[in-house]
Amino acid sequence: MIKAKNIYKSFGELEVLSNVSFEVQRGDVISIIGPSGSGKSTLLRSLIGLEEINSGELYIEGISVAESGKEAYEKMGMVFQGFNLFPHKTVLGNLIEAPIVVKGEKKAEAKKKAEKLLKKVGLYDKKATYPAQLSGGQKQRVAIARALAMEPDIMLFDEPTSSLDPELVGEVLTVIRDLAEENITMLVVTHEMGFARDVSDRVFFMDHGQIISDTVPEKIFVNPESERIQSFLTKILSQN
Amino acid sequence: MFDYIINVSGYILEGSLVTFQLYLATAVFSVILGIAGALGKISKIPFLESILSFYTWVFRGTPLLLQLFFAYYGLPVLGITLQPFPAAVLTFIVNYGAYFTEIFRGGIESIGKGQYEAAKVLGLNYRQTMSRIILPQTVKRVLPATSNEAINLVKDSALVAVIGLGDLLRSAKVAVTRDFSIIPFIIAAVFYLVISSVIVTVFRKLEEKYSVYE
Repeated sequence: MIKAKNIYKSFGELEVLSNVSFEVQRGDVISIIGPSGSGKSTLLRSLIGLEEINSGELYIEGISVAESGKEAYEKMGMVFQGFNLFPHKTVLGNLIEAPIVVKGEKKAEAKKKAEKLLKKVGLYDKKATYPAQLSGGQKQRVAIARALAMEPDIMLFDEPTSSLDPELVGEVLTVIRDLAEENITMLVVTHEMGFARDVSDRVFFMDHGQIISDTVPEKIFVNPESERIQSFLTKILSQN
Repeated sequence: MFDYIINVSGYILEGSLVTFQLYLATAVFSVILGIAGALGKISKIPFLESILSFYTWVFRGTPLLLQLFFAYYGLPVLGITLQPFPAAVLTFIVNYGAYFTEIFRGGIESIGKGQYEAAKVLGLNYRQTMSRIILPQTVKRVLPATSNEAINLVKDSALVAVIGLGDLLRSAKVAVTRDFSIIPFIIAAVFYLVISSVIVTVFRKLEEKYSVYE
């Protein structure tokens, strides 16, 4: 679970997160939507320590980030918009790197686990391939498997399908949907409204560095409470 | 004629032993110095950055020949006397280390920040990130520039003849003066070409090896 209290974050003069508070229960799937520049990505990146927050309290699975950041961050895995696979390692090499180096797992054991994960994302036959030879959708599925190889309690997805060609979005969303069925906590920054509506337990709508709505998807999509959300949804749905 | 070529070749080959020793010592230690220098330059420690910038500025901005003279003829004035070979090796290591510092720094900085972020969220610390993720990718990117330096080093090594080291070129020069024949110079040229060609081939093989990804 995640507990955030009064989080503030600014880049110089620019305030990107302003008094953000929320709680996420174990197994919850949260979609974070909102216009670009609203602080969605910064919020995710702050959770896992890629950005340092200016003030506020953050607890990951009951561990205070302020007190033992490393331990808290290890509870989470993250998937990026740009994949960030290691290009000099094979698909399998990408998956076993951290378990071996960080957790000290035996190579054979790490391999066995990685192969299982590759089967899960449908890419077992690509295990000896280098990332450059994969399509965007395949890369992102490898990135998801790589994060899962560290057995995180929480998965953070930062616009996982935004840099994909439209016809490749589906295969990645399917993998994320399957994960949502398991008891893994997920926070997904996304522009895929269909995904947000169908898969998530709750939807955060962010604007100007704040979560202005934290509610169930039925409510936000069927009967949005504010005009701001209404106009955002109208705009984004007309694009699709 | 044939006997003469064999004889002179043997003589020049003896001289090339010094060239090989100088080459090997410089190659190994200047690359190590370059890696350390590059890591220092990206360390964001202002003091270290300034010192290293001064170092590369001086050694890349002045002639290698001047540095060689400085080490061999200049340092004794300050009470530090070096034998020709140590003076040459030291100068070459420090000079090439400066070039490698800049080449490797550029290579490291060309790796996108996404690689650091991916490593960080997987729990890798700085040392693990550099040694397992960043530096291995840097190797591929700096190979062409490093290959150039490796060939330059073959030719630069001939400069040590001016401080009296009996290297490949000096042996040839001695034979030319002694025998009043141009053949030793031609043999020396062939030797240099052979060495350069071997190095070019080695680097081409390396580049092929690294081309399996990207």
